[in-house]
Amino acid sequence: MSNPYEVLGVKQGASQEEIKKAYYKLVKKYHPDRFQENPLYDLAEQKLAEINEAYDYLTKNSNSSNSVGSNGWNNKSNSSDFYNKVRMNISSGNIVLAEQMLDETDARNAEWFYLKGIIFMKKGWYDQAYSNIQNAVNMDPSNFEYKEALNKMNMSNNSFRGNAAGRGYGAGPDLCTCCQCYCCSELCCDCLGGGC
Amino acid sequence: MFGYILPLKQDLKIKEYELFMAYYCGMCKSMSKRLGQMPRLFLNYDSTFFAILLSSISDEMPEIKGERCIAHQIKKRLVVRKSEIVDYAADINVILTYFSLKDKWNDDKSLVARAGMLSLEHQMTKLKKKYPKKCGIIIGRLGKLSELESIRCDILDKVADCFSELIGEILCYEPLCADKDTEKILRWIGYNIGKWVYIIDAFDDIKQDIKNESYNPILLQYSYDGGDIDEFKKSIKDKIEFNLTYTLSEISKAYELLKTNSNSGIVENIIFMGMLKKTEQILGTGSCIAFE
Repeated sequence: MSNPYEVLGVKQGASQEEIKKAYYKLVKKYHPDRFQENPLYDLAEQKLAEINEAYDYLTKNSNSSNSVGSNGWNNKSNSSDFYNKVRMNISSGNIVLAEQMLDETDARNAEWFYLKGIIFMKKGWYDQAYSNIQNAVNMDPSNFEYKEALNKMNMSNNSFRGNAAGRGYGAGPDLCTCCQCYCCSELCCDCLGGGC
Repeated sequence: MFGYILPLKQDLKIKEYELFMAYYCGMCKSMSKRLGQMPRLFLNYDSTFFAILLSSISDEMPEIKGERCIAHQIKKRLVVRKSEIVDYAADINVILTYFSLKDKWNDDKSLVARAGMLSLEHQMTKLKKKYPKKCGIIIGRLGKLSELESIRCDILDKVADCFSELIGEILCYEPLCADKDTEKILRWIGYNIGKWVYIIDAFDDIKQDIKNESYNPILLQYSYDGGDIDEFKKSIKDKIEFNLTYTLSEISKAYELLKTNSNSGIVENIIFMGMLKKTEQILGTGSCIAFE
């Protein structure tokens, strides 16, 4: 196990309060929900496990009920066998096979579009992913899973913008009106012309 | 394709700005030392970003020194020296420039592009030998791309995929990829950077492509009917913005999984601010007005 203080990013001997605060911040950052439809899911999970281990160690709590668990992909009992198989392939990272299975069937129901969307997501084809999942929601508006996936895509953008704002993006006087000429030309000047 | 990835200067710390420029100058010097004078003219900030991104997760301790050069005869500039990552990014800069010039020559028969291409021919022979695998993959992806262009593919994601994979391959700097997890993350960051660049470039070129009747997947995917260009751009703005912001959010999430050192301030500035600002500028959203 690596140094638990380092893992949580706190000073050696930090107070329980500080540890807790750092822990919650990290959990939010690496929460499986943020990485659900992401090829790096397992790495985020690993990171979270490490954080949990460190937190449990530092709070002298051997039973891990304190820490946040990860919720992987659950097979839905109401899906047919076929879709369960597709889901299984997706969750084990076998995207090519999952996609092939979907393409070979003629059925085009809501679940088909949803799973197709999830596969596109993993491939990084967000535009296709969005329209497929949107399709699934339109076909079956009462399905929570489909709606949730669509919401998550929208939320991801909001949280990115929130993160940018948290770093000071957009705060203070707006220098934007001159930034196109300002940023580029000044950077150029700085390197070629000599600090004009 | 070049010039979209920039830091948001007003939000950089002064020391970060100095370091960014030190890397930029380092790339220039690295080119002149190893590849000759010609490639220096094609140096861009995108490759500088690659160098800083890779260095922010490596243990490499490059030397930073004040030096003079052709452009700065009097005042010494800080320069990153003896960095293998900088050498690699400089090589990549040349390779990408070469292929982009080649593309321009093939598409528009631009003589300027042809001249630039020929001036880099000698260096390319060298680099192809140095990175046979990477160059092979780059050529393969670009071949796929022009194939999709020639059949006028109307799925933006599908066309962008080629360029995205290409950048993904480039970010997989071998010494860092001994660790398979790092490789996976770098590839995903690269994939999304490539995607962002491809889409933003396609959107930026809409007007020009309509005028020249050139191929542009955005025009096909959203079936441009020959009407008012600004109206068309406005009608697809939300969609494009969604895609661009989503790739940025994926880049940021993946980057957070990496163990980073002090250079990460610059990288985060570029991902969270520079690229977001550029997105808003090109789309004409946010507090920015569109520049033509």
